[in-house]
Amino acid sequence: MIRIWLPALLRRQPARLLGAAIGVAIAVALLASLGAFLAHAKASMTGRAVRSVSVDWQVQAAQGSDPAKVAALVAHTASVQASQIVGFTQAPGLSATTAGSTQTTGSAVVLGLPAGYTATFPGEIRTLTGRGTGVLLAQQTASNLHAAPGSHITIQRAGLSPIAVTVSGVVDLPQANSLFQKVGAPVGAQPSAPPDNVVMLPYKQWQQVSAPVAAARPDLVSAQIHARLGHALPNDPAAAYSTVIAAAHNLEARSTGTATVGNNLGAALDAARGDAAYAQVLFLFLGLPGAILAGLLTATVASAGARRRRGEQALLRIRGASQRQLLRLAALEAGVIGLVGCVAGLGTALVVGTSAFGSASFGATTSSALLWASLAVASGLAITGAAVLSPARRDVREHTIASGLEEIATRRYPWWARYGLDIAALIGAGLVVNAAGRNGYQLVLAPEGVPTISVSYWALAGPALLWLGAGLLVWRLVDLLLGRGRAVTAVLLRPFAGRLAPVLSSSMSRQRRPLVKAATVLALAIAFAISTASFNATYRAQAEADAQLTNGADVTVTESPAASLGPNYATRLAAVPGVTGVEPLQHRYAYVGTDLQDLYGVRPGSIRSVSALQDSYFQGGSAAALMHTLQTKADSILVSAETVKDYQLHVGDLINLRLVDGRTHQLVTVGFHYVGVVSEFPTAPKDSFFITNAAYVTQKTGSNAVGTFLVNTGGTNSSAVAARVRALVGPTVNVTDISTTRGAVGSSLTSVDLAGLTRVELAFALILAAAAGGLVLALGLAERRRSFAIMNALGARRRHLRAAVAGETLLVGATGALGGVMLGALLTQTLVKVLTGVFDPPPSAITVPWPYLAGLSMLIVACLAIVTVGAVRVSGRNLLPTIRRL
Amino acid sequence: MTTPRNPSGSSSASNSAPAVQPCVNGSSMTGTARASSDTAVARCVAVGRTYGTGDRAVVAVYDATCAVSARDRVAIIGPSGSGKSTLLHLLAGLEAPSAGQISWPALGGHPRAGAHRVGLVFQAASLIPSMTVLENVELPMLLADTPAGEARQRARSALDLLDLDGLHRDLPQELSGGQAQRVVIARVLAARPRLILADEPTSHLDRRTADHVADVLVQVSDEIDAALVIATHDRAVGGRMRTVWPMHDGRLHPATATLLADACTTRSTADMSSNRGITEGDHA
Repeated sequence: MIRIWLPALLRRQPARLLGAAIGVAIAVALLASLGAFLAHAKASMTGRAVRSVSVDWQVQAAQGSDPAKVAALVAHTASVQASQIVGFTQAPGLSATTAGSTQTTGSAVVLGLPAGYTATFPGEIRTLTGRGTGVLLAQQTASNLHAAPGSHITIQRAGLSPIAVTVSGVVDLPQANSLFQKVGAPVGAQPSAPPDNVVMLPYKQWQQVSAPVAAARPDLVSAQIHARLGHALPNDPAAAYSTVIAAAHNLEARSTGTATVGNNLGAALDAARGDAAYAQVLFLFLGLPGAILAGLLTATVASAGARRRRGEQALLRIRGASQRQLLRLAALEAGVIGLVGCVAGLGTALVVGTSAFGSASFGATTSSALLWASLAVASGLAITGAAVLSPARRDVREHTIASGLEEIATRRYPWWARYGLDIAALIGAGLVVNAAGRNGYQLVLAPEGVPTISVSYWALAGPALLWLGAGLLVWRLVDLLLGRGRAVTAVLLRPFAGRLAPVLSSSMSRQRRPLVKAATVLALAIAFAISTASFNATYRAQAEADAQLTNGADVTVTESPAASLGPNYATRLAAVPGVTGVEPLQHRYAYVGTDLQDLYGVRPGSIRSVSALQDSYFQGGSAAALMHTLQTKADSILVSAETVKDYQLHVGDLINLRLVDGRTHQLVTVGFHYVGVVSEFPTAPKDSFFITNAAYVTQKTGSNAVGTFLVNTGGTNSSAVAARVRALVGPTVNVTDISTTRGAVGSSLTSVDLAGLTRVELAFALILAAAAGGLVLALGLAERRRSFAIMNALGARRRHLRAAVAGETLLVGATGALGGVMLGALLTQTLVKVLTGVFDPPPSAITVPWPYLAGLSMLIVACLAIVTVGAVRVSGRNLLPTIRRL
Repeated sequence: MTTPRNPSGSSSASNSAPAVQPCVNGSSMTGTARASSDTAVARCVAVGRTYGTGDRAVVAVYDATCAVSARDRVAIIGPSGSGKSTLLHLLAGLEAPSAGQISWPALGGHPRAGAHRVGLVFQAASLIPSMTVLENVELPMLLADTPAGEARQRARSALDLLDLDGLHRDLPQELSGGQAQRVVIARVLAARPRLILADEPTSHLDRRTADHVADVLVQVSDEIDAALVIATHDRAVGGRMRTVWPMHDGRLHPATATLLADACTTRSTADMSSNRGITEGDHA
């Protein structure tokens, strides 16, 4: 029987089989692609975390222990590749006399660096001016002391005579936060900022300076062993984190209390495992709906041939086929669909991986790729079973021969509609999203130092219920329109169908279930495309905003202590080809109480022309309003939320800051009035800082010195313009461009992973929308070819057939599009809200990817048009065989 | 005038005269030469129909010449595969001939240019499953741009005439085979065509129902003054027609005329006239 059935099936029903197989293939390809990509993303996060750390471990030798012994212990630890001893001494201050004036700093840290330290731990110290060896000053310290290479500075020692040294170079300490961490202290006990004043001495010189201090005040001198580990770690950041933490614990246990590990690599992996968890959440939020939608598409395509299948089953039963035989035939059909779908899906994933990522495995290891391919195939087979085999099984068991032969199935209103499941799901979605909001939408909780990571998967229920409820509601509303609202559809059809409109409307009403399904699947596909594209566009915009915040503008020129460019230099920079605007930005340090913070002086009227300031960066007004306040009230100041909290500030309060006067080089008190909160600002650090009016600062300090020039290139050619600016300003001035910054800033999630997810998902969203718009409708129309043929034989002209087909197409297209756009907008809002944690900075508005959406619309319209024209053409062909055969 | 021509002939339509009358029943047997003004509702001249090409070519109709006049009652009789359905479809304008010419002088143009000109009855009930009985009947009229009110009125009248007035709202799947074919006939009746072409309209029906359906077709044709051509292999049905065109292997076959004439006369026109109880025995 199977030998007869299978060739006949392939010969007679290729379109339906192929359609269902396409649905399975999309699901398999999507899951295999995203899964393999997720595995690769996790591995890349681990690699990125490893690369971000210069000193993997800072092993603190306990007070009174012998650092050399601890160093030996560290050196003999299996995972350690290289280690060196670094000395730390607390000094009361530093001083320097330049141009007749003496500057004295507050407390300072004196580091003792062994020879070859910068080579062993590249990235820990970056030379700005002078030599990279000898006595080195941190950039800010050099600024405080007005020192440069060749300057003589004095290191004060507690209870001892000061020692004078000659500065060889000025350096930047990119990893200052970890370098000056309090090893072993809990997060809350860590210093809020690295020390303001740092001087680095060669290790032997440091020993000479510090030995007397250690003898008198051993508490002021300590030693650390800095270590670089082997990086053969597991791909998953969470597993890598566990490995590194376990190794550190092992060392501490072996040291019998003489060593405490400051685990920088562990901390980086700790952050990466949080990102990995977010990547997983994104996969679930953005990828899974696509796979489910593909399953739904398969079910819809399969159901397009349900009437025919029931008819065939009835005929076979008349001829004596048993239920078992019928089920075997249904399984055969499902098997063909599943096999073709899975093979095509894996093939598509291979093509997608090779074309988008240059690797068939999406960069993941072979075992990960195979694992995900297996899971995708299992899912594809499960979808085939649920979408093809299960309905066929139900038909075999529930339908009589007579009901199987019915062309218009008489069905009750679905149970979920009778019980209002759609409304309940929407209410549930609202409640879950609201509840997640109370928790600040913190979906991923990865407490520092705690090996386990907590992901609030229950928050997934919000968007999931929204999908479910909205999808069912679209079904209900379209069913209502085509059923009870047939008078309305008749009116809508009249412009196309004329006198035929009432008859066509009634006819559509009686066979509305396939049309309702087509409209619902189309709505879900459009919603998937819109929500995915808008979420990704918003994410990209925020990643760009992050790069803008970090770099400041398209090109940023930052003065080093050795090179001082006046504000008038802006005119020269503006003349560089490709530059469309230059904005000087003052950068000072200001004391509020004993706390030293960065202070930025801006030109409020023009700052927004070179750097995008989002409303979400501020509290107490929009970006435009607060800049306007800074302009009109020159003594206004924007303060970080932390400072507002620490000093209990209220809007309008006077804040007295101490700034260095440019004329006297002494600190002077300048009064400002607090007008709002700033959380982010171009080039500003993530912690506390001030934003003020530059003209007011200049007036009060007698100095118009500029720290940074923000250069606008109109968003293009930033690298080329940066090169030209570099040639102009010379090597002593730091010039950065946004293209380079983009690759360096942000979490691993920002720079690597979502970009890939975006490419894969947006492509699949288009395929799903095209399939939902074209394939589902085409198969539905194909099932009614006989009706069109009869109409043709009865004298229908092309315009009549066009009206009949276009009427269906338009109703399906319009209701699907309307439902899809509304659901898409709602889903985007929900996703951006629930996934707030992945955005840095949080978005103030959703970015709508108009070009993508325009392309999506055109694709769907093209598919519907092709189906309409094709159906009209086909209805005129093989008229008599069609009337006879079907 | 009913004029089948010897298939071997090659003369043109304008001067063709029947060499043989294959089968003659009843009163319309005498048509030979065409009148000066052509009143034929359909005319075939040396028409052939071939499917496929080369070695796979199948000739369904050879060189057929015939004409159907107003109020003619013609049965094309032959075994399955003899080409009678193809000839009928050619007459309906549903298919184009591979050779020869077909014209519809009295219809004023191609039948498919106006749905009301030709009424079609197919082998199986050709009703649109998603439309009610009433909608199915009014559909051809709406396609011919008849005002909706008039179309509905005529559809109701036709259904009433065929005693189907209780089935207006039923779907085709709720009808028996006989009822469904009567609905198709009502659809033809309501559209009031000049030519009714029925392709094996009784082949799926039992004897009693088949007789009824055939009678209804004749009655309806009389009612609207239409010519009726039935393609059938059922001689009983053929016997209800005034003229029989035998067909074999794609040819209108003169050699069988006598035999057929004998067979056809087993039922007289008078029998047909008396058998107008058309609503009885409609059971598939």
